[in-house]
Amino acid sequence: MTAVMNPLVRFLDDLGQCVLFVKELLRILFFQGCPTRLVFEQIWSVTMQSLSTTAMAGFFVGAIMTVQFTMQVSEFGALGFLGGLATSATIREVGPLLIAFMLSGKVGAFTSAELGTMRVTEQIDAVRCLGANPLKELILPRFIGIIVSSFFLLVAGLMMSIAGGLLLGIVFSGINPEEYVRHIPTVVSLGSIVSGLFKCLAFAVLLASICTYKGYSTTGGAKGVGQSVVKTAVATMVGIVFVDWATSIISDAVLEVYLSL
Amino acid sequence: MEASSQKIIEFKKVIKKFGERTILKGFSFDVLEGEILFILGTSGTGKSVLLKNLVGLLRPTSGEIWIDGEEVSGFSEEEYLPIRKKCGMVFQHPALFDSLTVYENIAFGLRRHYRLSEEEISQKVKASLALVNMDGVEDKLPTELSYGMQKRVSLARTVAVDPKILLFDEPTTGLDPVTTNVVNQLIKDLSRKLKTTSLVVSHDMHCALDIADRIIVLDKGNIVDQGTPQELLKSDVPLVQDFMAEVNEKQEGTA
Repeated sequence: MTAVMNPLVRFLDDLGQCVLFVKELLRILFFQGCPTRLVFEQIWSVTMQSLSTTAMAGFFVGAIMTVQFTMQVSEFGALGFLGGLATSATIREVGPLLIAFMLSGKVGAFTSAELGTMRVTEQIDAVRCLGANPLKELILPRFIGIIVSSFFLLVAGLMMSIAGGLLLGIVFSGINPEEYVRHIPTVVSLGSIVSGLFKCLAFAVLLASICTYKGYSTTGGAKGVGQSVVKTAVATMVGIVFVDWATSIISDAVLEVYLSL
Repeated sequence: MEASSQKIIEFKKVIKKFGERTILKGFSFDVLEGEILFILGTSGTGKSVLLKNLVGLLRPTSGEIWIDGEEVSGFSEEEYLPIRKKCGMVFQHPALFDSLTVYENIAFGLRRHYRLSEEEISQKVKASLALVNMDGVEDKLPTELSYGMQKRVSLARTVAVDPKILLFDEPTTGLDPVTTNVVNQLIKDLSRKLKTTSLVVSHDMHCALDIADRIIVLDKGNIVDQGTPQELLKSDVPLVQDFMAEVNEKQEGTA
């Protein structure tokens, strides 16, 4: 029983600490403000680091979805709906999920390793000793920067996925571009887009919270940094799947209420 | 400046626990203004924890810590800021900010503790680097410097804000014998030149005998002996004798 309970207690303890950590960041944000220059530096550096890989990942996600749907819809002679179906599935579900996975490996691992190294080499203690609050000067700019840039990167990735889908539609499925684009507005509703964007935002907040918390709470030298990076990768991926499920339910429920009005 | 009889730090029955483990077991000691006090002990005896309690990076479980006439153990993070201006800490690692140049590293504390013009900051940075014999490295990144040089820049960053008390956490760990001597001499010179009080946590008895006014020996969270270097040379405490034996071995090795 203890073997089961201990990891559960540790997980709940960690989750609680992470929530308190984010609460403290928000308290600092609302009551003390945030160094704007540092936030923009973070947005710039995170975006530039990951834009090319995110765009590429998005492109291939869209391409893969088109290839998959081609096999299904061509059997029913409904190739005309290929663009609508592939785009809808990509924007609502697969795109945000896969691109967020990639960002968790890139942005999440980088940030937790960077902060973890700063922690074990006493740089974070040095910040405190030199009269600054590390949460305000180091963590908060990264937290906000990662949320903003991850959201932007996810959206950019989704747009690239539409381009990827379109290109493979032409090359692989032999459908002309007008045909591919024509049914996108009929299948992809405003609800799908809002749902996709909501997911992107939720993933961005989750990623920023976990990687800054894990990095900041690193202990135990180089091994500790390695463990933090692994824990960040695992926690963000599991968290992303969970949040994906939760946001799907929430956005469907909201859509249902909206349609019944 | 020689030590006065004025107490600048008082540690009163401080206990620090991490979960079930008690690291500091309620000992007391004072640091006199202007003296160089060494706290010696083997690894894991709570020396670094003691320093971190002093600067408020950790808070004691119980007991009192008085710094320059103020009881600080219950201070909030905001209340601790002026105390940290008084107590400059030099960490075991150089702890320089990798992404900032040497200039920006030293200016970091100055920008937060004082309202200075950029020209005044520049003068202070240059003066601090000159104190540790490191002129002309302002534009370099910490990674472009050797470990010993990084330690000296770290020292310059700490003294730049004019602290009354300098706290050193294992200042010579990981340094070669030549750089160790340089850093030791710097601690001595800075303490005398800047008229600061120095509290040095170390396991290097050789350095302690060389530059300390007084030495406290810690073992398993308690004080086992204390006195001037001359007094400790005659100590019959086993741990102190072990430290002395190591010093003698080193001297025989170099003879």
